[in-house]
Amino acid sequence: MPLFGLVSCRWIMTVSGRCAEGCGDNSRNDFRGACAGHHSMSSNRTTFSRAGIRHGFVMAQPLAASVLLYGAVFGVLAGESGLSTLQAVLMSTLVYSGSAQLAALQIGVTTALLPPLLLAVLLLNARYLLYGAALRPWLGGMSPAAAYGTLFLTGDGNWALAMKEYANGNRDAGFLFGSGLAMYAPWALGTLGGHMLASWVPDPRALGLDFMLVAFAAAIAVGAWRGREDWWPAAASALAAVLVYRLLPGGWHIVAAGIVGAAVGAWRHRDA
Amino acid sequence: MPDADFMTVVTALAVASFACRAGGFMMMRFVRITPRVEAALKAVPLAVMIGIVVPAAAAGNLPEVAALFAVGVVMKLLGNEFLAAVAGLAVVAAGRWLAF
Repeated sequence: MPLFGLVSCRWIMTVSGRCAEGCGDNSRNDFRGACAGHHSMSSNRTTFSRAGIRHGFVMAQPLAASVLLYGAVFGVLAGESGLSTLQAVLMSTLVYSGSAQLAALQIGVTTALLPPLLLAVLLLNARYLLYGAALRPWLGGMSPAAAYGTLFLTGDGNWALAMKEYANGNRDAGFLFGSGLAMYAPWALGTLGGHMLASWVPDPRALGLDFMLVAFAAAIAVGAWRGREDWWPAAASALAAVLVYRLLPGGWHIVAAGIVGAAVGAWRHRDA
Repeated sequence: MPDADFMTVVTALAVASFACRAGGFMMMRFVRITPRVEAALKAVPLAVMIGIVVPAAAAGNLPEVAALFAVGVVMKLLGNEFLAAVAGLAVVAAGRWLAF
């Protein structure tokens, strides 16, 4: 299944912020298909429509179910670490990053530990620098409120889903916003539910819940596989991840895998 | 009500988290997206997911390795990320239960 591979590169050269912004304003009330119908001819037109938000929200529902569970896992673990229900939900709604929040619980949520906490969050979320960079062509023409609001809601799952949608020709950034919303709400609700259920789940590990992130990442990797061109970046990033995982603690191996994969992807790229 | 100490920490972590989300987007304002840069960015999702999975696979514990295999099989058969992840969780839980 081609996910990220089918997009023509020509549109990127022609996207200029102002032009795309005007396009977004004009077609705000259009149905998504109105712009999507053009994409094979002029895929440089980016929009942000209500229909796009709905579409993204619906398409991300399979992910939302797993986020709800993952949020519940965080809620349970937060309860075990002594955070109150309100504290756990505040953390999920403001920080909104599963791996970073789990790391924060392990370090200890107190100002005395702020330096290691901040470093851990920056390290574990460094991959979002790459995600945000990849979204520049799509969100570059949006208003700051729409662009940064959408970025705030962006998570691993809906980003991967949206990149697949973009590769298939969708230029409606509402999809990104809607799919993000579909993950943000269950993350907060899952945290709330998990924290309230905390006393009923004796051992999350026995249910394999600690394996959730890895299993989900593996599923996304299988879905994101484009074909033969992926072997080199994939092998290089796996090697980088293993090496860095042995040498450095924290989330560095994820960052290293992303950077090495990007470098090899650029190196193997042939100009058509 | 959460105390000031907690709110200070959570606010700082929220700012750091959002800085990562917005930072890459802002940086690209000053970087021209050539086809080569785009090829690099398109290679990132798979690479990051591999980065998350690899340490668990390299640890070589049987339940986890079997679970990753199950994720791959279900994903190939059904093409649904959630069902594939749930299959992986089921295999991990069963494997750990058998190990006791």
